[in-house]
Amino acid sequence: MAFNRKKKTFEGDTVQLENVSVGYGEVPPIISGVSLNLPQKSFHFLTGPSGTGKTSLLSLLYLANLPMAGSVKLFGEDVMDASRSRLAALRRRVGVVFQDFRLLDHLSVFDNVALPLRIARVPEDVVMQDVKELLNWVGLGEHMENKPAVLSGGQKQRVAIARAVVNRPKLILADEPTGNVDDKIAVRLMALFIELHKLGSSVIVATHNESLVARFPFPRLHLENGVLTPRPAAGQAG
Amino acid sequence: MARSDLPFRKDNAGRFVQWLVMVLVFLSAIAATVNAYTDALLTHWSRSVVGTMTVQVPPAAEGRSSSDAARDAEKVLAALKLHPAVASAKAIPREKIVTLLEPWLGSGAAITDLPLPALIDVQLRPDSTNSAASVADLVVKAVPAALVDDHRVWLSRMTDLAGGIGKIALGLVGLIAASLAFTVIFATRASLTEFMQTIEVLHLVGARDDYIAGQFARRALTEGIVGGVLGLVLFAPTLAAVVWLAKQVQAGVLPQVELPPLHWFVLALLPFLAGLLAMFTAHFTVRRALRAMV
Repeated sequence: MAFNRKKKTFEGDTVQLENVSVGYGEVPPIISGVSLNLPQKSFHFLTGPSGTGKTSLLSLLYLANLPMAGSVKLFGEDVMDASRSRLAALRRRVGVVFQDFRLLDHLSVFDNVALPLRIARVPEDVVMQDVKELLNWVGLGEHMENKPAVLSGGQKQRVAIARAVVNRPKLILADEPTGNVDDKIAVRLMALFIELHKLGSSVIVATHNESLVARFPFPRLHLENGVLTPRPAAGQAG
Repeated sequence: MARSDLPFRKDNAGRFVQWLVMVLVFLSAIAATVNAYTDALLTHWSRSVVGTMTVQVPPAAEGRSSSDAARDAEKVLAALKLHPAVASAKAIPREKIVTLLEPWLGSGAAITDLPLPALIDVQLRPDSTNSAASVADLVVKAVPAALVDDHRVWLSRMTDLAGGIGKIALGLVGLIAASLAFTVIFATRASLTEFMQTIEVLHLVGARDDYIAGQFARRALTEGIVGGVLGLVLFAPTLAAVVWLAKQVQAGVLPQVELPPLHWFVLALLPFLAGLLAMFTAHFTVRRALRAMV
């Protein structure tokens, strides 16, 4: 793929969590005392039963929330000290596939995918080229001008993934990205994440699809009862 | 028009702002025009009275005959003609004075028998309008009972009136601007609520506050300008109608005066001023609201 724009480089780990707790108000924290270092160019599955805080942990990493305790560093930068515009800049280096896609219904598929590039003020001719190429790659070349409403669940998911990766983020977070597609497409989408990983991005794929986890040789982070436990890779190369 | 990520076309709050700006610009145009007309009227009147004076020589009092009064008037006239600042000094004929009084006192024998003062109309030279005081001194020296009116009191009252109208107009425009700002704030908040999901997505894919606020600001600018132009379109026939009605009124009561080009320029600017105000208000409102997000 022709994504060769220069990105800011940094030393150290992509993600550094230290003793992080996430919670809302008086109820016990959803995540408590999690510490985690994800090196650059790593690939992890995030597993665990539903409702154990996988989405909360991810939302911390895409900076939708700040922790109630502990420290979060992204690309070596402490997010607790970052200004609003720095936080926005950090978000632009993170690509997120939301579980509910969060596509903008009033925009075409093309404009949805182009959004991160336009926000990053990428020249329009580059936007045209990159978005078209990526949409063709995920098999949606025929649907560029359609609105998301007319797409199937699986197609929407691919649009969401295309939007997450179009700006070549250094950290890709995917929340159940293969939940709505058949196995063949799931493998194809995983191949896209793996390619971006090989090109230098760190990837976290949250899933409870055990067969998917078993298929790929990546370590997993298991979240249960608010506690995160690293587990070695179980899968075979696929 | 610039591309927008927000579905503003579906949004009614914006159309409301446009409609309100139309009404507010219409009202501002009226306030500004009333103010400009008052100013122009004042200039018109002061131009016609500056450099003129009216001398009253009182009528014959007890122990004096009317020929004494006539002699006094002659004395004043003679003195005035010698003063270098005086361009002309003419006695106003008694018949004309009677005519001037007719509307109040009626015509007939009663009025012609009244002891009327002699009136002298004095024109000063254009370059010596400041010599009014020395001319008045001269008149009083010649005939101590004579009264000199250089219209300054009247003019200063008219200036006060015009100043008062100007302040009221300014206050109105201030109120109008405040209403516009508050409306934009509430309309923007309504749009923010309506588009919250879209805004969250923009925020999470890394849009800066400026990027999101800028889209609202551009929309507000467009609505302000369009609404403002509509307001002026509404104002034009209103002004034409008022001018036509004024022409039907007896001439002299409302003199025809030219409004200065600056006034028309300010009116033409109103839609842009409304647009800019709406733009900055929307930008500010959105930025404040976004601070609620991490």
